[in-house]
Amino acid sequence: MTGSPTATPTPTPVPVPVPGSPLSTTSVSRTPGQVWRRTRGLLLAALLLVAAGITYAAVGSGGEHGRLDPRSPDPYGSRAVAELLKDRGVTVDVVTTLGEATDAAGPDTTLLVAGPNVLTDYQRHVLRGAVGDASGRTVLVAPGRVSVGTLAPGVSAELPGRAGPHPPRCDLPAARSAGTVETGGLRYRTDARDAVSCYPVDGYPTYLVLPEHASGDTVLLGSPDLLYNDRLDQQGNASLALQTLGSRPHLVWYLPSLTDPSATAGPGGQENGEGGGDGGTTAGESGFVDLIPSGWLWGTLQLAFAAVLAAIWRARRLGPLVTERLPVAVRASESTEGRARLYRKANARDRAAATLRSATRNRLAPLVGVSPRDAQSPGALLPAVSARLDASDTDAVALLFGPAPADDAALVLLTDQLDALEREVRTS
Amino acid sequence: MALTGRTALLAALGSLPVGILAPSWTGMLAVNAPLSLAILCDYALAAPVRSLRFTRSGDTSVRLGDTAQVQLTVTNPSRRRLRAHLRDAWPPSSWSSEAEQAASHHRFTVPAGERVRLTTFLRPARRGDRLPDRVTVRSFGPLGLAARQGRHDVPWAVRVLPPFTSRKHLPSRLARLRELDGRTTVLTRGEGTEFDSLRVYVPGDDTRSIDWRATARQSAVAVRTWRPERDRHILIVLDTGRTSAGRVGDVPRLDAAMDAALLLTALAVRAGDRVNLLAYDRRVRAQVRGGAAGGDVLSSVVNAMAPLEPELVETDARGLSTTAMAHAPQRSLIVLLTSLDAAPVEEGLLPVLPQLTRRHTVLVASVADPHVETMARSRGSVDAVYEAAAGTQTQEQRRRTADQLPRHGVTVVDATPNTLAPALADAYLALKAAGRL
Repeated sequence: MTGSPTATPTPTPVPVPVPGSPLSTTSVSRTPGQVWRRTRGLLLAALLLVAAGITYAAVGSGGEHGRLDPRSPDPYGSRAVAELLKDRGVTVDVVTTLGEATDAAGPDTTLLVAGPNVLTDYQRHVLRGAVGDASGRTVLVAPGRVSVGTLAPGVSAELPGRAGPHPPRCDLPAARSAGTVETGGLRYRTDARDAVSCYPVDGYPTYLVLPEHASGDTVLLGSPDLLYNDRLDQQGNASLALQTLGSRPHLVWYLPSLTDPSATAGPGGQENGEGGGDGGTTAGESGFVDLIPSGWLWGTLQLAFAAVLAAIWRARRLGPLVTERLPVAVRASESTEGRARLYRKANARDRAAATLRSATRNRLAPLVGVSPRDAQSPGALLPAVSARLDASDTDAVALLFGPAPADDAALVLLTDQLDALEREVRTS
Repeated sequence: MALTGRTALLAALGSLPVGILAPSWTGMLAVNAPLSLAILCDYALAAPVRSLRFTRSGDTSVRLGDTAQVQLTVTNPSRRRLRAHLRDAWPPSSWSSEAEQAASHHRFTVPAGERVRLTTFLRPARRGDRLPDRVTVRSFGPLGLAARQGRHDVPWAVRVLPPFTSRKHLPSRLARLRELDGRTTVLTRGEGTEFDSLRVYVPGDDTRSIDWRATARQSAVAVRTWRPERDRHILIVLDTGRTSAGRVGDVPRLDAAMDAALLLTALAVRAGDRVNLLAYDRRVRAQVRGGAAGGDVLSSVVNAMAPLEPELVETDARGLSTTAMAHAPQRSLIVLLTSLDAAPVEEGLLPVLPQLTRRHTVLVASVADPHVETMARSRGSVDAVYEAAAGTQTQEQRRRTADQLPRHGVTVVDATPNTLAPALADAYLALKAAGRL
């Protein structure tokens, strides 16, 4: 035993104050240098990703850019044929939305649909309805199996045939004067009697003229090759292209685009815009926005900016949450409570009654002068208890050593009677 | 970088000139560019946070339920005025309620080159060591639009000691102890008593204690007085196993046991006995080897108890017995503060008891649960009767267990948390009076 008390292994409670040296800093925030070192890797990776994306886009877009666009001088553009048509007095208008395309359709107009396959089903229906009424010429560039059914009823698309120069083999004047032309691509089959089939490849035509009612007609081109800038001067391509597209004084060149609002319109929108299709819905929306004074719109935009600032203000916490180990919170009486619920669930009336009776017997024994060892035996306890009760109105035998109660009410009654018995013995 | 509500408010007010005067991108720019510039300037002009100096002082220990004050001195060595909002973060249990937690936030201003002392009031909700987390400072610019924010690590520790609520029972028990000492009344002479002094006979003294030889030497009749033996050894063993974690009225059993152990320690130290403490479950959690006498033992015991937490493991009774034997080389009174649950006692404690009782006097103290008593008395409905049956069952088991221990010569104290401490002190005094230490 040492003279002074020692407490081990608990640590000393006295904290060490921080030395007030001006050189030591208690700051644990990251310095700008640390922030830079931590983020520079990520920044570099992001930079590389952006650079790679730009490079890939620049390299990959090459020849495909401006495909079939009458303004594009690229190999796959169609500026050459557009220029040639303008020289011959045909006006060329480029449209990108369905609304413009259907508005422009008319008897003296050629409508060239550059990508009928990218149109939605709804757009094709609208387009078909418009050109059917217009009695102009419609040129469909390589319509596929799905789009041909709507845009040119009665025609079905077959598997693509060999591309290359093919002779006309038909009586169409334009084809005869053009002679051999680079066609191929999709082939078409039709049962229409008045249809003119030219440039067949393995039996099916790749250039199909379908007369409509009045003076209108629809031309199906199996392959867009003859419209490309770098192919126009081959074979009789230019001749066929000019004759096909230059038959009317106006040419509307429809390049479908994703920004066209009608692309997202469904069949339900058809009812709003009769004939014109999607026009109704779009006009309604823009009209509502147009009706609001612009000051309100800009004010709301500024308020949104203020909301972002407020979010930043509220989001920054004054230090992180502090965590700590919580002690277990379990009641010492939990197992007892659990047992009570188990008794209840199992309707263990016999067990409950036996426990309560035994406890009462144990409490009665010292009151009536019976030793605790004999508390549970009827022979020793009952006479002593009966002697303390004045009348025989209480059946001590049945109470203390009787059978288990039959139902819950009997159990509650038994408990009360046991209490009464104990009180009586105590006060006697 | 942090923004303020003022910034958002200015931006919101900016929607008026934008909407009325210039509803265009130009108007947006005209409003937001000066605002952004003001934010950047404000940020640049705010006092730096990184170079602030912090020191702490104040209380290092506090009794559970009392309030501790910890001072934080903030020195602003920069040339700019510091307008700051500071949070001195401590673990959540450092405050008893959510409202008190606001005490960790401070708003203050420190001129360049000066310092300020902030006081954080802690009123811990639990025992144990409280270590502060980071100090977070937000330094606002002169316009109050933007702020710099940074954190500092300023260590300190506040030890929360057991409350020792049973202190109020100490004076009455000390009075009883003085009676035992023979200074006030006559003592019976017992096995564990020793000769104290001679004094003049007063009527009422036991005539058997007259020392005739001394009387012959003097002119007056002298009697011998006896007092209980001093310098006895007491080993208090706290069981910190899983049974000590159970809560009785929102306080773990362990805390009630500690309270009783503290009263016993205070009493035994005054009585001149040597008190040792051992906290054990499967290994030694804390130990105090007490010296001869003095108040230092009590503070050592309090300090050793402060960080103790119940461990959720079954107590290794054999290891506990062996360790207790090693801690008590002389004949001692071993006070074992554990529970009287049937299984741990019958399977763990009973087999090792003979080993302890062979050399030592053993006293087992246990915290009873008043809620079980309430359950046993509940009546009136079916649920209540089943509760009564379960409560009675538990009481019966406990009583049977408690009945087994005296057969091994062990004294048993089984009391509710409020009465355990005085009951244990009384048991100790009874043993001392009987000279059984």
